[in-house]
Amino acid sequence: MKYGALIFISLLILSACKKKEQPLPIFGQREVVGNDTVYHHIANFKFVDQDSSLITNDTFKDQIYVADFFFTSCRTICPIMKTQMLRVYEATSDIPDVKLLSHSIDPEYDTVALLHSFAERLGVSSDRWHFVTGVKDSIYKIAQTSYFATAMEDKSEPDGFIHSGAFLLVDKQQRIRGKYDGTKEDDVNRLIADIARLKKEYE
Amino acid sequence: MNRWVVLLFGSILIWGCGPGGKSRDSKFQQYIVQGEELYVTHCSNCHQKSGKGLGLLYPPLDESDFMDQNIDSVICLIKNGKSGEIIVNGKAYNQPMPGVPLLSDLEVAEIATYIYNNWTHDKGMIEVTRVSSILEKCESR
Repeated sequence: MKYGALIFISLLILSACKKKEQPLPIFGQREVVGNDTVYHHIANFKFVDQDSSLITNDTFKDQIYVADFFFTSCRTICPIMKTQMLRVYEATSDIPDVKLLSHSIDPEYDTVALLHSFAERLGVSSDRWHFVTGVKDSIYKIAQTSYFATAMEDKSEPDGFIHSGAFLLVDKQQRIRGKYDGTKEDDVNRLIADIARLKKEYE
Repeated sequence: MNRWVVLLFGSILIWGCGPGGKSRDSKFQQYIVQGEELYVTHCSNCHQKSGKGLGLLYPPLDESDFMDQNIDSVICLIKNGKSGEIIVNGKAYNQPMPGVPLLSDLEVAEIATYIYNNWTHDKGMIEVTRVSSILEKCESR
């Protein structure tokens, strides 16, 4: 009988674990305008991808996407980031409204042709994973002001740039909902789980 | 009597630790241990810890006919890097590999010994003396 009570209490405690999942946080500043809250969102952008297609905010209309910053000649963290982003690509292959966006921070060297060959060699399709190049300053600016990621030239670095290895999860309203270390497998597992959580918000 | 049993048992244990039952002397083991550490620092970003490479960007090392057939060039490219197309297992790769010019001959030998005795490879120890004479003859890229 004593045990029965104990089991009952344990079950009660366990049942508390099954509470409703918290929605993912919304990153950045927010402003209240009248009755509406305006959240930080990705500024307007216009880049070109590996197929020479114009990539703008509209490309990701009604889409969840994951963004990062890299360059093809980078030998430090980018290869690890690409290995991890490829895991995200494979994990989301059955989800039609999830896309990936990799910005080159060395756009003068990373031409459309070079990005095309890079994506092809990685074995990924351009309708799900866009590798973009564009005006260097606009890429640095959007990295820092919209995605809270670091990207800049620094001649003292081995490869000439400093940039963060972050992966940013962006929702369908172009708000940042998660930031992950794209060089760490565990963190990328969390991203993959969060994509599924975010997806549920739209069901 | 007891001491002999312990000794015999101990030897069997040590013997048993070598892969494939082969005994490896401590210098060989040291090369492998140091080589692995250097591999993780300088090589595994692209070629992966598993040696599997990445897509058609970075060629695999775990199974590689290129490695089997070109030990001398592999030793040169670890230090000097390589650019231009190479064919590995019938597939073309063309991403420039930066060299690591700061590596000493010993460190190159340790990396070479590690990669040539890991995954599917079993080429035995690659001595520093051999590496030094190969490095002297590398063609400039």
